Amino acid sequence: MEELIQTLKQQIIEVLNLEGMKPEDIDNDAPLFNEGLGLDSIDALELIVLMEKKYGIKLQDPKAAKDVFQSVRVMAEYIEQHRSK
Amino acid sequence: MVVKIGGSIISPLRNSVDSVYEALARGESSLRTRKLWNLEEPFVGSMMNWEEEGPDDCLTRFESLSLRSARAALQEAGIDGKRGDVAFVFSTTKGNIEQLAHRFDTTRTQVRHKFERRLNLGEGARRVVRELGNGNDPVVVSNACTSGLCAQIVAQRMLEQKICRYAVVVGCDVLTEFIVSGFQSFKALSPEGCRPFDAERKGLNLGEAAAAMVLTLSDEASGRWVLERGAIRNDANHISGPSRTGEGSYRALRTVLASVGMEELAFVNAHGTATMYNDEMESIALERAGITDVPVNSLKGYLGHTMGAAGVLECLVSMKAVEEGVVLATRGFGKKGVSGNIKINGELTTTDRPSFVKMLSGFGGCNAVMLYRKGGGV
Amino acid sequence: MRHWVILDETRGVVVDGERIGVEAQGMGMIDEIYRGYVGNYMKYFKMDSLCKVGFVASELLLAKESGSRDVEQRKCYGTAERAIVLFNESGSLYTDTRYQATISDEENYFPSPALFVYTLANIVTGEIAIRNKYYGETNFLVLPEKNSQAMAVQVSALFADKETQSAIVGWVECDAEEHFEVRMALVGRDDNIENDIKTLIEWKN
Repeated sequence: MEELIQTLKQQIIEVLNLEGMKPEDIDNDAPLFNEGLGLDSIDALELIVLMEKKYGIKLQDPKAAKDVFQSVRVMAEYIEQHRSK
Repeated sequence: MVVKIGGSIISPLRNSVDSVYEALARGESSLRTRKLWNLEEPFVGSMMNWEEEGPDDCLTRFESLSLRSARAALQEAGIDGKRGDVAFVFSTTKGNIEQLAHRFDTTRTQVRHKFERRLNLGEGARRVVRELGNGNDPVVVSNACTSGLCAQIVAQRMLEQKICRYAVVVGCDVLTEFIVSGFQSFKALSPEGCRPFDAERKGLNLGEAAAAMVLTLSDEASGRWVLERGAIRNDANHISGPSRTGEGSYRALRTVLASVGMEELAFVNAHGTATMYNDEMESIALERAGITDVPVNSLKGYLGHTMGAAGVLECLVSMKAVEEGVVLATRGFGKKGVSGNIKINGELTTTDRPSFVKMLSGFGGCNAVMLYRKGGGV
Repeated sequence: MRHWVILDETRGVVVDGERIGVEAQGMGMIDEIYRGYVGNYMKYFKMDSLCKVGFVASELLLAKESGSRDVEQRKCYGTAERAIVLFNESGSLYTDTRYQATISDEENYFPSPALFVYTLANIVTGEIAIRNKYYGETNFLVLPEKNSQAMAVQVSALFADKETQSAIVGWVECDAEEHFEVRMALVGRDDNIENDIKTLIEWKN
């Protein structure tokens, strides 16, 4: 799990162009959106692409995706349970 | 003042302003479910019957549709398109974008594709203008989904400044894998016919079409459509999400409404794409601008969102509707699902008022609004 | 013309006729100006190249006008008095090509929303409006080729809108990663637009 969390942080930084940010700057449990990393709606859509591309997980409904993107830990747990890649 | 002296529509439903209007008044729609290209999911869209159109080795789909609509509008206006005092203002979001796929076609890497240059929007538009025998260089307005109104505003100003005697505004976009896949990645497409302003709306449908308008400066407004006043304003909020307060749209409405009394407005033809955020935003902007009793409609349920063509096409249909004393129904609308206090026109109703307002909003936070008035009343 | 900026990969950076020293080349030059003269705006790193060059040029222009890096202290912040109208030849074709790459391989078909949103050239006008809370007119016009006369016609016409008092205008082109050219000016309602645009477009050091 810890390994997946680290990989995931690296992938998030890369696909969302979070310039100057390192994996250790992202708290495992901090909210990704709004007050947390300050991500926006396009970032959410790009995370949906990341989930499918890297882990074979399709999130059709952007609203349901919001629950998955609560924090890096929640994302990692969801990936563990649903991944096909 | 700037008046319309010719108009045309080339669409999957019909190929003239009058016949498109009649089809819409009957409630016809060209929206169908399609599975095309490499798209993973089907989509509901409005498309031309390209097999019927026949292949064209010299012109792309965008160019041939644009050419047909420009020719028809010039013919109605009785103006020779070759004249040096005719200016061309195009409205398109993606022009010849489908030609871009050739760059990735590994089987033909050695051959520079013949349409390569015309990927530049200005070059594609120039090709259409040359095909009409005109030597002037066109201006292409590429202001996302507001382009159709912005192009009319650009043309209006050029006429008022006497840069040209006639201006042809050509709005066109064709449906491509590029555009549909992009809107799919945005989760913005409805899996069914779109439902503007409805509580159950699930997103937009895309459509392809071309529409053209010939404009000129005249002192004689009687019996003609006058482009009364237009405004373009930005939300200054987000590049893809509409402002929650409808800021840009409201400001554009406020500027334009200063020139008209509410009792003169037959209706407001909203953008009404049927995405959650767009329709909600428009309802707030309209309420803030005091338009709570004038009927509001959206035409997206008939021909989809025709992007660069939308601003021209929907204006031409709305003009015809006012002439017929009709406020067209918002196809797909059932139960109001926006918070703004506005009156959505669900069914076809009648009117005897001579003016209407057209609204558009798009990516980049841009919003455009234009007021039209039929000279001498209806 | 109140102020003007030229940014291009061969001429470097010029503000009101004065050269600004930069060490990096190509897009590195734009990042260097961002770090040296803008900073602290995370949205910058999400922008495509066309937006980056246009945004950085607008920052130089507006810092020059107000003598302040603090956006809220600048003139016209939060008003509709200032328009933004930009021109180029390639639209957003460079980013279009990058987006097309995400859908060209059937085996690796992942259309990118973050790229798709930048496949509209007018997004650069939106980025500048968002940064400065400009509610005024924004528009993007594509011309078959760079033509100062055609640009001057459109810029002069802007002021037909009575609310528009000044405008950020100019040529913003980026048709390949290392190939960009920005010629941007701040003009006012009473300026000699035709002359200003001609000077801006024809300026050679």
